[in-house]
Amino acid sequence: MKQLLKTLTETFSPSGYEDEIRKVILNEVKSLADEVRVDALGNLIVRKKPIKGTKSPKKIMIAAHMDEIGLMVTHVDDNGFVRFTGIGGVYPRNLVGGHVRFANGVSGVIGLEPTSSPSDVPALNKMFVDVGATSKKNCPVKTGDVAGFERSFLDLGDRLVAKSMDDRIGCLVAIEALRALKSTPHDVYFVFTTQEEVGTHGAQTSAYGIDPDLGFSIDVTSWGDTPGQKDFEVALGKGPAIKIRDGGMLSDPRIVDWMIRTAEKAKIPYQREVLLGGTTDARAMQLVRGGVPVGCVSIPCRYVHTPAEMVDFNDVKNAVKLIGLMLKNSVSI
Amino acid sequence: MTDILPFLKSIISVAGLSGYETPVANLIEEKWTPLVDEISRSRLGSIHGLKKGSVSGKASRPSVLIATHMDAIGLMVTRIVDGFIYVTNIGGVDARVLPGTPVLVHATKSAKELYGVVAMPPANLLPEGQSAGAIGLKYLMIDTGLTPREVSKRVHIGDRVSFNTEPVEMSGGCISGHTLDNRASVAALTICLEELQAKSHIWDVWALASIQEEVTFGGSYTSTYQLRPTIAIALDMTFGNGTGSNDHTAFPIGKGVTLGIGPSVHPFLHKRFKEVAERVEIPVKDEALPDHSSTDADAMQLTAEGIPTMVVSIPQRYMHTPVELVALKDIQRAGRLLAEFVASLEADFINKIAWD
Repeated sequence: MKQLLKTLTETFSPSGYEDEIRKVILNEVKSLADEVRVDALGNLIVRKKPIKGTKSPKKIMIAAHMDEIGLMVTHVDDNGFVRFTGIGGVYPRNLVGGHVRFANGVSGVIGLEPTSSPSDVPALNKMFVDVGATSKKNCPVKTGDVAGFERSFLDLGDRLVAKSMDDRIGCLVAIEALRALKSTPHDVYFVFTTQEEVGTHGAQTSAYGIDPDLGFSIDVTSWGDTPGQKDFEVALGKGPAIKIRDGGMLSDPRIVDWMIRTAEKAKIPYQREVLLGGTTDARAMQLVRGGVPVGCVSIPCRYVHTPAEMVDFNDVKNAVKLIGLMLKNSVSI
Repeated sequence: MTDILPFLKSIISVAGLSGYETPVANLIEEKWTPLVDEISRSRLGSIHGLKKGSVSGKASRPSVLIATHMDAIGLMVTRIVDGFIYVTNIGGVDARVLPGTPVLVHATKSAKELYGVVAMPPANLLPEGQSAGAIGLKYLMIDTGLTPREVSKRVHIGDRVSFNTEPVEMSGGCISGHTLDNRASVAALTICLEELQAKSHIWDVWALASIQEEVTFGGSYTSTYQLRPTIAIALDMTFGNGTGSNDHTAFPIGKGVTLGIGPSVHPFLHKRFKEVAERVEIPVKDEALPDHSSTDADAMQLTAEGIPTMVVSIPQRYMHTPVELVALKDIQRAGRLLAEFVASLEADFINKIAWD
């Protein structure tokens, strides 16, 4: 599982450019699924059919996004310095000293224009990528090229660190839950979605296409257990978090109940999540067509949207267990 | 005209926060059931009441959807410290007026509601610069009078907290209470349905009590998609004149309802509303909505291939506080105006909705 997570997190896939990660995931899931397809926005839709003879099975959609935040080149100046903008929630202070890689394999480091004080962090438009070029002409990247962050996977035992743990950890949980799901009374659609970081686009269209009866997303959530973090009662290692609300959505109370009942019955540790900002694919799923009851299983993750996102392996394993049980047994909602 | 006050008081005496509308939905469904031909709930819990029009045939019946959201703003537990409950908002809560507010904590660990009051921490416990003036929501706390042990035994993170102010009938034909936004509109739509019992109307009417307007417009997005009306009207609250709000962005209480003008409103629907109001002598004022309307209309307009929408509003003072204040007369007027509008819709009205 850790080896797969290493591969998943070290793969390049900024929003809108998910080809590489889709190949990795497809390779992993094709032997496990009854049906696999890729839709117009690039979502990878993996179906596990219900046991034969199941009466009116429920269509359940589970979304884990496979895109990650990244950079896009806005222009290259005469001296070969590459100016850029963010794809998704890119925060300037997380970029300083960063190492990026472009889709064509070119690597670069992030430099800053001088600030009035060394402790100031400039805005994105005062930063640039230095790819070692000396002129616009010999610069190997051009306007519109896309870069992802580079950082190798780090195994600290229980704690695992990587770039794009948001939301490759959700992808891993979905893959492992599918692997463990030998049979199900539901019509299950695991969707590895595109473009979540720029507005839950992949979830919106794939949910429209699938028209599920209910569903949930698997994504990272924030953390409250490092120095100075306040007002958020979620910690690493205390179990997956069951989302009650976030900045963009109120989970359907019936889905929350389903998750909590399943966790309690199987004595799986869990945390109750009340997140003030940010949202997940579930928001888009909730509002699609005539509306879908949804929720979210969250993996607590420190340092979200930096190249060093940290999760606890036990939370990951417990999330796989929780989702496996939810999909194995019937549910009435 | 029947007296709407008892029903209005009943629906502002229960909770029904965004995402958890069932308590108020039950009351509304009970009230609407005898007034409509069919009633059901959406997958997310919105109420759909259908009062059929007189047009014959099943195919392509024209329909007007009237949306009044039934969800309420409120609070949600974020953490518990020494028996005091800290909260965040569900929907836009004006935290300046919260200290001293009676609340109900919907404590799910014990499946029992707890009475509480919103308390302010003493100045010496607040961070520097926070002790003067209005205190931010994250510093306020709820005191239930229980010991820390008892609170921890009963209250979960994520539990809802609703306002528990009693409705007050005031002088001058006004009512004050929590969640008049937008249950005053639910009451007005109920009056509309009552009026339509004795009026003939060609178009089908969908009465929608929508969920989650205060957070995502979730009810109007999804119900409009499902019901696919020909036209749609949002009935909601607007800002009433009062101390400190006497400019053109606020409207006098008790002097009639407002008709929205702006990109969220189809000009032809506005024109028809104005004509109807003049004919039946209901006072109306134009309300400029130059950007979005911040009502269900914003979502309904963008549903499917697009739906012509209208925004009608009832002026209200102290929006998004536990003591919202509305004139009963305006509620009656909104209900009557809607009924007269519906009755005015001729079979080929939609063909007249045309851009020049």
